[in-house]
Amino acid sequence: MRRVRVICVLLPVCLWLAGCGGDPGFPNRIQPAIGPDGITTLRKGNGAEPQTLDPAKATGVPAANILRDLYEGLVIYAPDGHVIPGDAKSWRISADGKTYTFHLRKNAKWSNGAPVTAQDYVFSLRRAVAPSTASPYADIHAPIVNATAIIDGKKPPASLGVAALDAHTLQIKLHAPTPFFLKTLAHSSSDPVYPPAVKKWGDAFTQPQHAVTNGAYELVSWRVNDKIVLRRNPHYWDNEDTAIDRVEYYPITDANSELARYQAGGLDWTSGVPTAKLDTVKKHIPGQYHAVPTLSVFYFGLNVTRPPFQGRRKLRMALSMALDREIITDKILRGNEIPAYSWVPTALQGYRSVRYAWAGLSDKARKARARKLYHEAGYSEEHPLKANLLYVSGEGGKRMAIVAAAMWRKVLGAEINTRSQEWKVYLQTIHSRRNTQIFYVGWIGDYEDPNTFFSIMKTHSAQNESGYHSAVYDRAVSASQHMPSGPKRTRLMHVAEATLLHDSPIIPLYFGSAHHLIKPYVKGFVGNPLGAYYSKDMNIVPASAGGR
Amino acid sequence: MLVYIARRLLGAIPTLFILLTLSFVLVHSAPGSPFSNARRIPPQVRAELEAKYHLDEPLIEQYGRYLYNIAHFDFGPSYRYQDTSVNELIATGFPVSATIGGFALVIALLIGVPLGLFAAVRQNRVADYATTSGALLGISVPSFVLAPLMILAFAVYRDWLPAGGLGGWQSYVMPVAALALAFIAYVVRLTRASTIEVLRSDYIRTAWAKGLSAPRVFFVHVLPAAILPIVSFLGPAAAAILTGSVVIEQIFGIPGLGRFFVNGALNRDYTLVLGIVIFYGIIIIGFNLVVDILYGWLDPRVSY
Repeated sequence: MRRVRVICVLLPVCLWLAGCGGDPGFPNRIQPAIGPDGITTLRKGNGAEPQTLDPAKATGVPAANILRDLYEGLVIYAPDGHVIPGDAKSWRISADGKTYTFHLRKNAKWSNGAPVTAQDYVFSLRRAVAPSTASPYADIHAPIVNATAIIDGKKPPASLGVAALDAHTLQIKLHAPTPFFLKTLAHSSSDPVYPPAVKKWGDAFTQPQHAVTNGAYELVSWRVNDKIVLRRNPHYWDNEDTAIDRVEYYPITDANSELARYQAGGLDWTSGVPTAKLDTVKKHIPGQYHAVPTLSVFYFGLNVTRPPFQGRRKLRMALSMALDREIITDKILRGNEIPAYSWVPTALQGYRSVRYAWAGLSDKARKARARKLYHEAGYSEEHPLKANLLYVSGEGGKRMAIVAAAMWRKVLGAEINTRSQEWKVYLQTIHSRRNTQIFYVGWIGDYEDPNTFFSIMKTHSAQNESGYHSAVYDRAVSASQHMPSGPKRTRLMHVAEATLLHDSPIIPLYFGSAHHLIKPYVKGFVGNPLGAYYSKDMNIVPASAGGR
Repeated sequence: MLVYIARRLLGAIPTLFILLTLSFVLVHSAPGSPFSNARRIPPQVRAELEAKYHLDEPLIEQYGRYLYNIAHFDFGPSYRYQDTSVNELIATGFPVSATIGGFALVIALLIGVPLGLFAAVRQNRVADYATTSGALLGISVPSFVLAPLMILAFAVYRDWLPAGGLGGWQSYVMPVAALALAFIAYVVRLTRASTIEVLRSDYIRTAWAKGLSAPRVFFVHVLPAAILPIVSFLGPAAAAILTGSVVIEQIFGIPGLGRFFVNGALNRDYTLVLGIVIFYGIIIIGFNLVVDILYGWLDPRVSY
């Protein structure tokens, strides 16, 4: 009865909409925000509201996007994702790979005009690892001398291996050579903060009235759940090359609302595209749709500390083999995601993954082998595997769970129950490893090195929700963390990846992509797997004739 | 009257206390922690965070501390929005929700009451059927269907109104309208039902028999009596509508209190949830008191 009534209302409305002018299928207003005085504003949809704008404490993509505009570290990312000089003009790495000496730009300035000094960096890095800061990313600084002991509260923050040789020379000492160290310096938790502001205002130094930043932009206003406004930092060393005057970040978690605001002309850039609208968008505005493979892997974790997966490698492998990843990416996700036959995402440059040996098999042969392994593990039609698959409540997880369960039923005859939990409950459940068997989860890399993926599956990693333990794997990963890049390191990483795939405590499904809609007048966008986009690299150039 | 108000206000204290205690126990017994995230934080860091927010203390101590702070009108820091306090969040969120809710409420009354009266007077005629079925539709269409449709129609297909966010008065039009619609429907049905009942009562028949003019019968005799159910409906309804609708705020991207409340619960932002519960409790109690006082004034049978 209720549904009938709803339809009665909707029908005339839809008819009226269909009668509207323009492109009836997909209206899309092209109107850049340029003030009468020529002030350009970039309006970006930004997903969730950031938890904090303190570079040391921030987590998550939304905060990272804003912090990239506000603060500049020693190194930053170029539009294509390569590490380039930021606040540091140049640097020298000692022959043993353990001492980094950075020469800061003499013209690097805070938004109040004060120079950015090596002492500021010493203060900020000590602060990032100090227990009193409670930074979730403190452990990203583990390569630095004494960092781990400071995080553990065993040594004072002043003992960190960071020293200001003079106002513009910073020296960082590592306890062992670390090939990806420079990349961790591009992470926001390595950004400098303005010491006087932190000392004076404490936690509130991030507020617009107190914030002093050294990036291309400064903070103008911040209204929770409404928007965050930045404007050009006139003291920024490269201010001359910065084109856009203002940036507005809108926290819009609902992808459909974001799309509507983009179409209505209120946003220049979206943080995503609703899955259900992907086909429409590709059809009507292909030039504005950008799908960029990211450093992320989505996978099923298998709890190897309890039955039925404990000690049953063949069963785990059979489950992995039985999944048709191309169907998952092409038919379910439909947005340029990449089928995963390895652990490290293919978007990661400078490393070629080891793949499952069976990755090249035909569909039929692969399924036959899956069935064979399944039988060898002691399961059959009469005695099927019964297990639970847990996912976070929501459409995406639900679809994935249903599809996987159906594939496992069809190929193996396994009986997989799917169930969902609300996010925080889910986190607690998988972490306790008591009630989980299969769980759907994803991991986004923190920096562009395979280590950000390998380290999470080490035995004592807090992220290792499978409870995976392999001495071979741990040794290979640990050794690869502390040697220069080169064939030897690659070999170790291949050992680690092959071991992980062979042991199958995880079933990689696909490597994720970021989806953005960007208006044609926004220039300078080059996709990069880190999603590291700086507003200073963009420009707003209205087409004289206008677009659709 | 003053004694009555004083008594009611005193009685509110234990009510709020029970509300607070229950909510405190409930939020703290929800599984999951405010600091759990996709990226596990190192255990030492977690311990440090919990110490900072006193979450490492026994629950009873936390409760005592919380009561003490509440008594000083300090709702504490938000765990999710780490750079702001709950007081600040309520102070910025409430005016927004109250503005949208207030306008929606006024519009609902201005449209709903006359329509209800109209339908009652024309009982069982075409006008009545049209109005009541319209009201039924209004109640039936959920705002999460209506709001996106409005956005499509007036922001995407026509460039009449912004598709979301807070800006000039234009940005308030759709949220207010979407919120008001369901309330109009309720008000229409309530008004109609109570008016019909009043119209049938003896004293109205007497009024007609005395030969009073129609406006006098309606505005002096019918209206005050017919409006009583609306007034009692308005107490809790006003409290609910002024503190924000999650759905409307989410869809239109409005920084109101309703979104804070629901997101707070999802994020296990204990202090934010408790702060809003208390705030909401105070508002409900306040409105109910106002309603009761109004009752005494409108209905001669009620006295304090």
